[in-house]
Amino acid sequence: MEMPLDALNDASDEALLVAFGNGDRAAARALTLRLTPRVLGYAARLLGDRAEAEDVTQEAMLRLWRMAGQWRQGEARVTTWLYRVVTNLCTDRLRRRRGVGLDSIEEPADDAASAEDGLARAQRLAALQEALMRLPARQRQAVVLRHVEGLSNPEIAAVMEVSVEAVESLTARGKRGLAKALAGRREELGYGDG
Amino acid sequence: MAMADGKRLNDEELEKLLAEAGREAPLPSGQLLERIMADAEAVAARAEAPAPPSVPPAARHGGRAGRLLAALGGWPALAGLATAAVAGVWLGLAPPPGLEAISRGAQLPLGGGDYGVEEFMPSLDDMLTEG
Repeated sequence: MEMPLDALNDASDEALLVAFGNGDRAAARALTLRLTPRVLGYAARLLGDRAEAEDVTQEAMLRLWRMAGQWRQGEARVTTWLYRVVTNLCTDRLRRRRGVGLDSIEEPADDAASAEDGLARAQRLAALQEALMRLPARQRQAVVLRHVEGLSNPEIAAVMEVSVEAVESLTARGKRGLAKALAGRREELGYGDG
Repeated sequence: MAMADGKRLNDEELEKLLAEAGREAPLPSGQLLERIMADAEAVAARAEAPAPPSVPPAARHGGRAGRLLAALGGWPALAGLATAAVAGVWLGLAPPPGLEAISRGAQLPLGGGDYGVEEFMPSLDDMLTEG
């Protein structure tokens, strides 16, 4: 019942999920290695907290395993479904977290922080994360899905369950908000004085 | 790269920064990957576990009484039996008027004796005395 290793690498997420629904453990391993980094990265951008992002990632993947048995190929993309679940889980967490100040937001860890270049990069990304956290949640989701995760507008519309026009509007407003929040930090961001 | 506001990042700069964030996504720890795979294993094992046999709950108590109860169909069936038994005792102690005539008739040979249709009808006197 298990797929050969080569087939695992070539198989689509959807085919792997159906295989896992039929009891194929190797398919679950392949999906875990393939999807976890994306899910964790997205959750970390929305939450600004590594530990919480890990919890959300585990919960989202657990929901994926539970629904594998009922997954029908061709109905939806696994990644779209996952991004939607993560978006909702993060929204719930942020609602519960209301009242917690921005000071508690963790700066992303960077292994190369000792090197000057790494430090500059870590500072840049920390500044960006701080600015992202100041955006309204929906704008942050749209901007991250479009420009960090690289999804197309129709895909984002499916994830956020809104129209493509709404996605365009959220992204545009989000980017304006980011530019405003980052104004005056050009040097820190490595862009000089402009 | 003209900018309306010298202090603000333009679209291109902002998108470059966001794309950099995408490349610098945090890597999942080995522990997280293990937890996720353990969840997958648990879900798969639960899906493969044989469905529990559909035995009436009474049979699970074991013992002779439990098996007898299960053979009768569990507690609901036993409740029906108990009701029927109580009703039988009640009819024996206080038969309603007319019942005796029916049971006497059932014991008579066919076409025999002084058995009349009017005996099936409760008399008006009975009705009056019973209120």
